[in-house]
Amino acid sequence: MTTTRRTVLQTGLAAAGAVAAPGVLTAQTRPPASRTLRVVYAGDLATYDPIWTTANITAYHGAMVYDTLFGIDDKLQPKPQMVEKYGVSDDQLTWTFELRDGLKFSDGSTVTAADCAASIRRWAVRSGTGQLLLPRMKDISAKDDKTFVVSLRERFPLLLDGLASPATPVCFMMRKKEAETDPMQKIDTIIGSGPFVFNQGETRAGTQYVYDKSPTYVPRTDATSGSAGAKIVKVDRVVSVNMPDAQTAVAALQAGEIDFYEIPPIDLLDQLQGDPNISLINLADLGVVGYIGLNWLHPPFNNQKLRQSLLYIVNQEEMMKPTFVDKKWYQACGGWMTCGSPMENDANTDWFKGGVNLDKARALMKEGGYDGRPVVVLQATNIPYMMNAATVFAQQLRSAGYNVQLMPMDWANVVQRRSSKAPPDQGGWDVFFTSSGGLSNANPYMIGGMATTGEKGWFGWPSDAKNEELRTKWINAGSLAERQAVGRELQQNAWDIVPHMYYGQWRQPAAHRKNVTGWLKVPEAVPLWNVAKT
Amino acid sequence: MTGTILRRLVSMVPVMGVVAICVFLLLHLAPGDPAAIIAGENVTPENIARIRAQLGLDLPIWKQFLVWIWSLLQGDLGASMFWGDSVASLIGQRAEPTISLAITTLLVAVVLAIGIGVLAAARVGSWIDRLVMGFAVLGFSVRVVVVGYQLIFVFAINLKWLPVQGYSPIAEGIVPWLRNLVLPSVALGMAYVALIARITRTTMLDVLAEDYMRTAKAKGVAMRPMLFKHALKNAAVPIATIVGNGVALLIGGVVITETVFNIPGVGRLVVDAIARRDYPIIQGVIMVFSGVYVLVNLLVDLSYTFFDPRVRG
Repeated sequence: MTTTRRTVLQTGLAAAGAVAAPGVLTAQTRPPASRTLRVVYAGDLATYDPIWTTANITAYHGAMVYDTLFGIDDKLQPKPQMVEKYGVSDDQLTWTFELRDGLKFSDGSTVTAADCAASIRRWAVRSGTGQLLLPRMKDISAKDDKTFVVSLRERFPLLLDGLASPATPVCFMMRKKEAETDPMQKIDTIIGSGPFVFNQGETRAGTQYVYDKSPTYVPRTDATSGSAGAKIVKVDRVVSVNMPDAQTAVAALQAGEIDFYEIPPIDLLDQLQGDPNISLINLADLGVVGYIGLNWLHPPFNNQKLRQSLLYIVNQEEMMKPTFVDKKWYQACGGWMTCGSPMENDANTDWFKGGVNLDKARALMKEGGYDGRPVVVLQATNIPYMMNAATVFAQQLRSAGYNVQLMPMDWANVVQRRSSKAPPDQGGWDVFFTSSGGLSNANPYMIGGMATTGEKGWFGWPSDAKNEELRTKWINAGSLAERQAVGRELQQNAWDIVPHMYYGQWRQPAAHRKNVTGWLKVPEAVPLWNVAKT
Repeated sequence: MTGTILRRLVSMVPVMGVVAICVFLLLHLAPGDPAAIIAGENVTPENIARIRAQLGLDLPIWKQFLVWIWSLLQGDLGASMFWGDSVASLIGQRAEPTISLAITTLLVAVVLAIGIGVLAAARVGSWIDRLVMGFAVLGFSVRVVVVGYQLIFVFAINLKWLPVQGYSPIAEGIVPWLRNLVLPSVALGMAYVALIARITRTTMLDVLAEDYMRTAKAKGVAMRPMLFKHALKNAAVPIATIVGNGVALLIGGVVITETVFNIPGVGRLVVDAIARRDYPIIQGVIMVFSGVYVLVNLLVDLSYTFFDPRVRG
């Protein structure tokens, strides 16, 4: 065979065509940019199972793919979502739920009551509210394809709140097949009945996660409100881009390469506010609460007087300011539960109203017998608000006379070290910093950090029987007014025992292109239904 | 020659073995718990312990090492602790952007650096020489991050000529592929250009001072053939060496550049994996990068026989 210029050219063109064909075909099936929403969240989607992990980003993924029996409206009240009708017996021990018509999983199968019963069982094992439900639950069973019944041993007024809550893990409905997986094992099959379908073909783990508008989803007909009401999808595709570099994400937003950035750094907000194509939006009124964990197992903070001394030392304003700069983004809060929530109250907050009082703190330190031992503070240097708060906290403690040893490390190291029960000078710790959603923190059961169950409990291992009694009383309270009253008692007791502290509350604004509208406010979630691009 | 190549390839085995031991020990002895990160914030220590057991992280470290090394010997790099995808497939998905970035950077850098290095040597002491050397100092001193952000600010945000971030596969067209690579390649190539240009200049100055170059000049050989045909070939061995050594610089730079320009390459993969302590990914990527580095240096060594026939003997 003779090789001619023509054959070389033909071979070259054929090869180029073969290489380009898959890409060209893929590009042809992609929705246009005007129908595609490109969003950047605070982190990367590390795992797809929203029950197996409590990571918020996985709950965002879950809210796209799965639906919930109830949602919360803009007043944080539970409202039916997948449920058409529900009722409760007079003794409040039997709850009956009927699913609405037209619910389908993305594989085409119909959502049944059996799927929901299995999903609730799996969720309950991992969820704070669910763990309260389980011992009170006699049975959960499907009566027919559309109806299931929850039978209780004792009444549980928080049932609907738990099923509706957007706090992680969210009670998402899965197929029975996946829902029967051990709650401690993650599921790999991602099939839900939510407003979007996960596009695994276009997804590149760690790079981009792609969701297409579900062709089988039938939204409710009532008005959209929070995660309740109609979930109407107004774009064809959502691409969640993993973009770890904040500066790059801000530049990409300005250049129109992405449409939404969940947490633009506060120091770049001026730059974004000056851009005529960009708007800032506060998607969560309750914001985020900064949590200071104290180790109850070892000196010095196994001593109540020394924990109380912290109340007169910590200045939240100073701890917030280096990160959030402008007071419109943050506030000091003396409540044990989130300020701005229905549980906010002023019981036992004289220490907060009086401000920093180092003389009082030193008197308590003396009374508590502080012996000058180092206070080991874990400082997550890769999370700016925690790093700044820890730096200021250390200085505040030093000014009162504490000997502070600041331990800079990354967050991965903090989460490992805080699980150690060893003495602080042998690999343990005295103080760590974290944060939780404002909604979760407005509930004494939603996060583990509110418990005082000793060594069985969350990191810090506080132990207090009265707090546990009050938490049980709070659960059993039949009305909001009753819960608020118990909330006062909880706070009164909490600021005596000081199980943990707070370093403030903030509302991180999100940024979006102005041509993208319809954002919904749901605490601890970023719903992308109802969002339109013009 | 075949014997040399085979001997060198065999000598890679202990090198990679040492790399494997170091990587494993460094990662597993360093603090950080992937199970706690997977579990999320609001979980009990018991749940974290169960996840740790599922991932095999509760086994003694020597046992974990044996499990990993046995898989490695069978060509299995393991699976991500988070997504469950195989490390080989994740590296495969990310290889194209990284290779594209490395090749474009290497091509631009080598051509540009040798050109300006030769020019500086030919015009030693002139303003051109000072300019080249000034650029070399600047290029080597300013970090990729700084250069990257400045390029984004000028060419992507203000002038809107090029995209801020991302990567377009070559299969979707050469033009978008190139458009996405221009800024990252320039940012990444700065230090590389500086390094090669300095070495080229120095080596060329040594060669230009040789007697045979003076003879060539005396015989009336024109400047261009004298520089590129006679001098550059004789200066090629140190330049090839530094190009090879610079691959390590390039690999390090790729990791940062891919983060700044949000390029979904192997560098980004490993940065994200480090933050969350996804051991199999970190170990797999470092093994691959180390293998590439060793192979590049082997190629550089072999190239000496081309540039300098005396080496063949």
